[in-house]
Amino acid sequence: MFTRPTTDQILRAVADDLATVVLPDLTGEPVKVAVQMMIQLLAGCAVRAAHETAWMAEEGAAIEAAVGGLDDPATRTALAAYRAAGTDLHLEAAAARYDQAGEALGAAVEYAYRSGDTAVAGRLRQLLAVRSGHEMAIVGALELVGRG
Amino acid sequence: MHDPAEMPARLAAFLALQEPDAGPVEVVSYEVMTGGYSRLLARAEVVWPQQDRRATYVLRGDPPADRAYIVTDRTREWEVLRAVVGRVAVSAPRYLDPTGEHLGTPALVIDHVPAASLLGYMAGRDDNRDLIGPLAEAAAAFHTLRLDQLPAALDRPASWQEYLNDRIDEWRRTARDHIESLPILRYVAAWLDAHRPPPVALGLIHGDFQSANLLRADDGRIVVLDWELAQIGDPREDLGYFRAVAQAAGPDVIGLDDEAFCARYRQLTGMTVEQLNPSVLAYFLVLGVVGTVRRMLEGGAAFARGDNHLLSSVFGQNSILFGQSMWLAFTEQLDASAAAPEV
Repeated sequence: MFTRPTTDQILRAVADDLATVVLPDLTGEPVKVAVQMMIQLLAGCAVRAAHETAWMAEEGAAIEAAVGGLDDPATRTALAAYRAAGTDLHLEAAAARYDQAGEALGAAVEYAYRSGDTAVAGRLRQLLAVRSGHEMAIVGALELVGRG
Repeated sequence: MHDPAEMPARLAAFLALQEPDAGPVEVVSYEVMTGGYSRLLARAEVVWPQQDRRATYVLRGDPPADRAYIVTDRTREWEVLRAVVGRVAVSAPRYLDPTGEHLGTPALVIDHVPAASLLGYMAGRDDNRDLIGPLAEAAAAFHTLRLDQLPAALDRPASWQEYLNDRIDEWRRTARDHIESLPILRYVAAWLDAHRPPPVALGLIHGDFQSANLLRADDGRIVVLDWELAQIGDPREDLGYFRAVAQAAGPDVIGLDDEAFCARYRQLTGMTVEQLNPSVLAYFLVLGVVGTVRRMLEGGAAFARGDNHLLSSVFGQNSILFGQSMWLAFTEQLDASAAAPEV
């Protein structure tokens, strides 16, 4: 299998060509909007291709460490499912495992607010901020094309 | 509706049926418009030669089911428009094809308003603070309509408390129903539940009150378009929603001077300072987007399941991700300001 150029390099190149070669030659507004969406989506896919497997694993480990000691049945159940999900790196399996980590985090957040534990809520919010930081790296500069 | 070869004849036949005494009708031009993600749009120039009458209409119709980004009801939108026209500056409703029997898809025929898009108008100016007053007036104009002036088809929540409970719970339901876990939405629901604002009277809310759905008329009034998501709710949701969308695609007219906006809006609606101030606005900046969030997530989930193939469904997920970062930032700011000692 060739790994160079990397997937993210190829996706970025396709997005760049769409922006610099294809888009200037388009005249119909609906088509231009569609291509502008494609460019942004491809740019996001490039970031995901480069980082998402690692980010999912890192976030999952951080969530496991943060919520493992909470006395909440819903959190414990989700965490057990996360731990049982194995270590398969294929995307579908990795996404399913990340989903279980997210379930544990969501349950833990609800528990923290329900029990009024502001210290735990604050720590969990930091994990949410990390997740959001990764998401915003994928989105990049959001441009709502076709709006208005 | 997007076939310019076929539509002029269909539209002419439809209009002839609507006004049988007006004589022959000709559709002299028909062009597809862009500008909305959710509906098919077209503009038509129409003449009635015997009456020496001309009109420019916009057709607003449903896309085919497999191209539908969200599902809304044209008849309901028609009823809302009929209720607000004359009280709010809108594109006046003229005709309705509720089933698509005549126009090929359920569609409204509404007046074309010769006004500048608010986004375009603002883009060419350095300072848009003079729009704060007209924006407050536009919102208050429909927020203060009495419930008995609104279509019976709109659900009436039993109370503000019940309504807010349901709105907060919609965040939880949206997270629960999605195709993957959404811990930030569950956090938002928990936070909103813990920081409830004072109640207000329920009223008509637009549901998609953002600059892209507003025009600026020559007389300075703001014209409000696209009423497909209108419902009865907490009017402050529209204001928060406006600010939320403006964070992603400004300018944020309210945020230019949120104290001034709140003061003008309170003056027009009779709300108290406790009911509407910049902190309450920020609460609704988060709460007010839940309907759009749910619809966008449903679109993304449908794409993931292979139920639709719309790039716009995937593209909409970017707005959710942007929103998540914004909700985290605003809730953290509000918590910090609430914890800070008063000086």
